[in-house]
Amino acid sequence: MPEPGRPLQGIRIADLTMIWAGPYATKILADQGAEVIKIESPAAWDNIRTLLPPPMAPGEHWWNTNFYFHEYSRNKKSLTLDLASEQGKAVFAKLLPHCDVVIENYRTDVMDNLGLSYDWLRSLRDDIIVVGMAGFGKTGPERNAVGYGPIIEMLSGLTSTSGYGDDGIPYKSGISYGDPIAGTAAAAAVATALIHRHRTGRGQYIDLAQREVMTAMLGEFFMDWSMNQRLPQHQGNRHDWMSPHNFYPCAGDDDWIAICVRTDAEWDALKLIMGSPEWAEDEAYSDQIYRWEHRDSLDDQLSQWTRQHRKEDIFERLRQARIPSSPVWKCLELVNQDPQFKARGFYEPLRHPEVGIWMVHGWLWRSSGAGPCVLAPAPDFGQHNADILGGLLGLPEAEQQALADAGVTATRPNGIPVASEMPALPSPV
Amino acid sequence: MTDPAPPDAARPYDGVRIIELAEGIAGPFAGRWLAALGADVIKVEPPTGDASRAFGPWPGDVPGDETSGLFLYLNGSKRGLTLNLDTSDGRAILAELAATADIIIESSTPGRLDQLGLGYEALSRDRPQLVMASITPFGQTGPNAELPATELTMFAACGQAWLTGDPDRPPLKNGGSQPSYQAGLNAFAAISAAAYAALVHGQGAHIDLAIVETYAGMAEAFMTRAAQLGVEHQRSGNFISATWGVYPAADGYAGVCALPRNLPGLLDAVDDDALRAMNIVDDPAARAEHNDEIAAILYAWFAQRTPDELLQLGIEHRVPFGYVASIQDLAENRHMQDRGYFTTADTEAGVLTYPGRLWAADDYGWSDAPAPKLGQHLPEILAELGYDPEDIVRLRELNAV
Repeated sequence: MPEPGRPLQGIRIADLTMIWAGPYATKILADQGAEVIKIESPAAWDNIRTLLPPPMAPGEHWWNTNFYFHEYSRNKKSLTLDLASEQGKAVFAKLLPHCDVVIENYRTDVMDNLGLSYDWLRSLRDDIIVVGMAGFGKTGPERNAVGYGPIIEMLSGLTSTSGYGDDGIPYKSGISYGDPIAGTAAAAAVATALIHRHRTGRGQYIDLAQREVMTAMLGEFFMDWSMNQRLPQHQGNRHDWMSPHNFYPCAGDDDWIAICVRTDAEWDALKLIMGSPEWAEDEAYSDQIYRWEHRDSLDDQLSQWTRQHRKEDIFERLRQARIPSSPVWKCLELVNQDPQFKARGFYEPLRHPEVGIWMVHGWLWRSSGAGPCVLAPAPDFGQHNADILGGLLGLPEAEQQALADAGVTATRPNGIPVASEMPALPSPV
Repeated sequence: MTDPAPPDAARPYDGVRIIELAEGIAGPFAGRWLAALGADVIKVEPPTGDASRAFGPWPGDVPGDETSGLFLYLNGSKRGLTLNLDTSDGRAILAELAATADIIIESSTPGRLDQLGLGYEALSRDRPQLVMASITPFGQTGPNAELPATELTMFAACGQAWLTGDPDRPPLKNGGSQPSYQAGLNAFAAISAAAYAALVHGQGAHIDLAIVETYAGMAEAFMTRAAQLGVEHQRSGNFISATWGVYPAADGYAGVCALPRNLPGLLDAVDDDALRAMNIVDDPAARAEHNDEIAAILYAWFAQRTPDELLQLGIEHRVPFGYVASIQDLAENRHMQDRGYFTTADTEAGVLTYPGRLWAADDYGWSDAPAPKLGQHLPEILAELGYDPEDIVRLRELNAV
């Protein structure tokens, strides 16, 4: 019986994913209890280990320590294996019968180029579940295009719908939003495939195009296009019928609060909180339709009030009146201060021997009875080589040593100096 | 869940009964995909209908309960009935339905189902394999648990607003209803994983999913950087650097996202001597130092490139180029059409074309039956529960259904 919160205990995943979208999927699967074996080549490791050089990656073995790598790879194991070599591929062939799932987010042609086709994988385990997460899928005329999250977002349609509204400029999300969205869908695809396998005895191949997942998050816009041949307009932070509905400036440095008023009752409550100012009694703001029509002047008036107060203080009063609102929490405020996340223990401590302790997010959703989500930091490069090669596959120590001597396995990415041997560099992105 | 699958099982969730007591976007979005993959999703609506029926878009902007594009998109392949939970008969029918469920998806205010005697503890007492997903803005616990929310307030509460928009302008919400959609996608993953344990081990779960937490989990490097290094992040609009941003193009907008390893390809594609001379491939310090000059070169270069050219150059040089595609561009995209991504349904709102799946599997397809009309399957579902036609007349008179 799995522990509460770890429904995928007993499932083993060969994780060939790199950078963001794929590792986000396997983060979820690892949190859910699957044994995720992150497989990297000594010559071609997950770039995210070394994307942020010292000093942004603390510690001497900085390819193991930076926050960005740990964000996606906690709770996983690390096996280094050069899949481009015959010896490495032979070890992988021995590992595959022990794996339920193979997942990758390479450019669309890479798996076949490496000789790791679905047919080959299936020849080693008939009911294997294989997930390919290329940006645009494995078929179709655009399949060879390459893209990270923001490119996926641009090509999905979302970016075209976001903008302040006064300058026509489309805006990307602050994060590489295409990546976690594709990763979440891939986690759902894996769990669904496991159900299907359990009920039918069959494995399957899943062709998950990252863009297609993102585009599916825009349903109403496709309906409007289909019904009315109409494209969405940039709305800034405003709404079709609510007003007030915006981020309002507060006392403090770049501090804002989101306030949304849905009903006359909420408007009356807000007026009371503001001390029933004279301007708010104006006919122009007397019902929902008027308030929406006069949203420019209303936003100006409301901003004059919000500017005089701290966002936390405004929020506390609106919260008590049950008016939809929230401070625009900054990163450090969310991690250290937000009473809601604190009460739920959303952030958990992650401990790493070279870095110490910092907070990372825990359960994306929590199941009754579950303990802490984060059980281990992201693995050091090749940390579990001996466990997997010796323990799981039973390779004698001499054979493991021979693999290391041949450079098929490693505990340090090829050609990467330790921190004290290299100059401090600016962040590349 | 039944085990093994029915002999004719063509889809992963064939034979699985789901009760959807969820309104709006998040819960129904999860339910839609489970329904498309074979589950018998029974959507329980209040007599006035799911809130999304009132959201549109509608053909010609004429509102109608059966013609809301949002509702039709989110509720395909489900069966529907209405229940008035303010009546004891309505609650009794819901209890009978819940007793048949493998999975329950609900989005009530925390505590409401317990008050009705339909909380997880009560329902799972004799059925430990029951999976229930409770999807709310802030989760079942904490000081904000009962605070009403909008997409905008959730976007602020999860940290995404702080990260999005120009540094010298207010934070900016991204388009549509992303907080709820992404939560629905997470709920789909959560339910699938829990359903696997229910199937294999007979172990159920009550899943407490907070929309703001699933979105806060997508903070990429920013939140964890702040937490590890103690440094606040400032939003950076459309540019993280000159080689990671959105530029005006010949026809609309386009962009590039190049990691260091993509820079040689970028130099080849742009083919500019001044850019080559900056040594940006080998020297990270040079990239930072010349950022403004690189941006100037790319502004001029993008201004002369069309979407098709960029796509081809990206493929040829393996550079992550993209253009800002409109909804029309996507609806007309040959590649996605060839891949069978879109589905077409004949609805009360006319013949509509929209995204029909999340991924392509080689062992099953995605159902694309239309969404239920308000109360459409009431007689058949009540008959399945053993009610006579006369009972249904009585229940209607009592305003229970």
